[in-house]
Amino acid sequence: MTRSADVVVIGGGIVGAACTYYLARAGVDVHLVERQFIASGTSRACDSLTLLWDKSPGPELILGRASTALWAGLVEELDEPFEYHRRGTVLLAEDEAGLEAGRQTAAAMQAQGIRAEPLAQADLLKLEPALSPDLAGGVFFPDDAQIDARRAALALVAAARRQGATVHQGAAVTGIRRRGEEIAGVTTQAGDFATHRVVCAAGVWSNSLARLVNLDLPIRPRKGHILVTARAPGFIHHPLLEGGYVSTVQTAAEGVQVALVAEQTPAGTILLGSSREFAGFDRSVSLTVVQAIARRALRFLPGLAQVPAIRSYAGLRPWSPDHLPLIGPVEAVPGFYLATGHEGSGISLAPVTGRLIADWIVNPNRVMPAAAAVRPDRFELRPRTDKPTNH
Amino acid sequence: MPFAELAVVGAGPAGLSAVVTAARLGVKVVLIDEYIQPGGQYLKGEAFADTLSSPAERQGRALLRSLPSAGITTYWQTVVWHSEKNRLHLHRPQGPLTLDAATVIAATGARELALPFPGWTLPGVMTVGGIQVLVKAHRVLPGQKILLAGSGPLLLAAAYTLISHGLPPVAVLESSAPRQWMRFGPALGGQTGRMSEGWRYLQALRRARVPYRFRRAVVRALGSDHLEAVVTARLDSRGRPVSGSEETIPVDALGIGFGFIPNVDLTQLAGCTHRYAPALGGWVPLVNEHQATDVPGLFAAGECAGVAGAEAALLSGEAAAWGAACHLGRVDRQELAHHLTRLKQARQRQHRFAAVLNTLSSPPDPLLAALAVGDVPICRCEGVTAAAVRQAIDRGARTLDALKTATRVGQGLCQGRTCGPILARLVASQTGCPVEQAGFFRVRPPLKPVPLSTVAAEGVE
Repeated sequence: MTRSADVVVIGGGIVGAACTYYLARAGVDVHLVERQFIASGTSRACDSLTLLWDKSPGPELILGRASTALWAGLVEELDEPFEYHRRGTVLLAEDEAGLEAGRQTAAAMQAQGIRAEPLAQADLLKLEPALSPDLAGGVFFPDDAQIDARRAALALVAAARRQGATVHQGAAVTGIRRRGEEIAGVTTQAGDFATHRVVCAAGVWSNSLARLVNLDLPIRPRKGHILVTARAPGFIHHPLLEGGYVSTVQTAAEGVQVALVAEQTPAGTILLGSSREFAGFDRSVSLTVVQAIARRALRFLPGLAQVPAIRSYAGLRPWSPDHLPLIGPVEAVPGFYLATGHEGSGISLAPVTGRLIADWIVNPNRVMPAAAAVRPDRFELRPRTDKPTNH
Repeated sequence: MPFAELAVVGAGPAGLSAVVTAARLGVKVVLIDEYIQPGGQYLKGEAFADTLSSPAERQGRALLRSLPSAGITTYWQTVVWHSEKNRLHLHRPQGPLTLDAATVIAATGARELALPFPGWTLPGVMTVGGIQVLVKAHRVLPGQKILLAGSGPLLLAAAYTLISHGLPPVAVLESSAPRQWMRFGPALGGQTGRMSEGWRYLQALRRARVPYRFRRAVVRALGSDHLEAVVTARLDSRGRPVSGSEETIPVDALGIGFGFIPNVDLTQLAGCTHRYAPALGGWVPLVNEHQATDVPGLFAAGECAGVAGAEAALLSGEAAAWGAACHLGRVDRQELAHHLTRLKQARQRQHRFAAVLNTLSSPPDPLLAALAVGDVPICRCEGVTAAAVRQAIDRGARTLDALKTATRVGQGLCQGRTCGPILARLVASQTGCPVEQAGFFRVRPPLKPVPLSTVAAEGVE
């Protein structure tokens, strides 16, 4: 059976869910096709942080702020709660040099009108008494929020359905049909779709889809591990990130990078991260990485020593070479849109991504200027004319 | 780093049988168990002079007695929290320890399956096996008015234990029909021990005037902060409670049991292929005739390779020990084959019997469907209700993984050990898909909760 659709969104993670929601809200007949189930990929193997201070002033920060505002609105707009908590985050400095770097980040954010409060050692310990007393200090960023990506994706999809979107789970895409250069349809395990527009929001799996239209994307899976503790209510009060976190994100190193990220979920468990490494599509848990995370956590939060660890998991972030996502049309393949490459900012930037995609499709004149920085064509995407190569 | 030619995880009948056999074959063995002493659930506590003891129990106790002189290194109160290839990561009261083992036998046993129903989280509601352990190992009676309900012969064994301790249960409710038990017939061939065991249980129930009622189940537990009464109901031919047949019985303890689920976390973490075998209790690792999994050097013996009772566990432990010894080059293939042939007939008999037993014990899905509704918690660790689970299934969740993502099931302290098999049956009964399509929760370290300091440490003695 062939259905027809204005737009087919591929990928039911947080980004695809947001695209589907904003398209449906704009009155577009949108079908979401997901290989497994909603949030079955990276969106269920991540933490729940949305940060502003890790974004560079300029287009990235503009998009980040737009998205933060959209998230706050979605709390009211969506019928289902998604564990949104605007507790802020705390950057931790181990020594004076780290604290100075933190102060500079704080100043840069303040210059953009984003709240940031440098904390001396005593203030830091008052805010988070479980921290090791030898830390130099930190910075409090009150505007950052925690969001459960799984619940948020499900809430967006449920709301999109109410707006008329159709969701197909267990619908792996096996082909993208074209007539000339233009998109003509999508073939999935759950049936065929006649459509002129496809949004590829398949995260780390976007490459294999783009290859169906002869495109090579510069996206690589960047693996991250998380270790979960048993419930320990009130152990920490804000998500904590060590100052070195940003450099582990920005390094191009292939090996494992570990920097502390600790956050407590509403259930009381503590999620401990973070690691970054290029390890292909292997999602198995590596004990050495989990151990490194545990050691880093004990360095900052020594009281965790006797708290039980109950689970660990690993997920794959869609890394892009300039640490910015790929959002928008691909000129060389009319009708093919990308919403991918968010690496660790998928939750942060999901709503603005959905908005941009809806604008690109419904009313390109409305697309905000900052979106130029994330247009996929900055990577000069051209259809392959030679024989396919193996990647 | 300590090294063992063979590490056996679990000191129940299968593990005991494996270590004693392996030691006799000249293998250097380490035996690990979470409890303070060996024996597993089956041999927990003392043997009573007044209790009938089965051949398996007598054999198990003989193994326990021979353990100190068998030249085996033992680690009690020790949790295996991770395994990578041939390396086991242990947590002991003294701290972490990493153990390299050339071969490993998983003998991690089975756990009980309890069905959710309104009130099942009230204090006073426990598993049938839990009641047996309380009484046999700790000499504690869980209450004064005890009801046993569920399905399968374990109910009779537990009733017998209570009777021998002077506190007969108020009743035993068996959810299946006598007709289903007739299927036992052919499988009883050569099971004279089991038959006389069953006969003596029934005699004891009769003498103690304990009602043994078929096709009846507990549908609700009542009480404010502790169990005060249960509502029971008759079941129709498909296992659904019949409205109007309810009776309220005042009780202060309730034992629930619907058979056993193999503990396969260790073999799943190790990457062994598993298959769904209802006749063996659920998901089990694929093993050959000497209990070798498809991961070289890793064997699975006893209930974790298929629920089949203590006698079968003893035999499979022995077979696995021979398999490990052969893997280590201590015995050649011919000796191994010869020995396995000797065990073969007895093992086949046990498995025929076990298949019927597991089928009888397994809960009727319509009963589960009728009782797991509304605000009945399904995932007890995270407090996820039946209604939330059913909504997620309605929205397309077809696997435990999908349910875990859509709700919080399986994310708590027990990591889905309790709710996993219940959820799979719920998905099946609500969608009509086979139970195995729901899959299982993916197992990742730590297998059991261990302090963060243990995870962080290099486990060197």
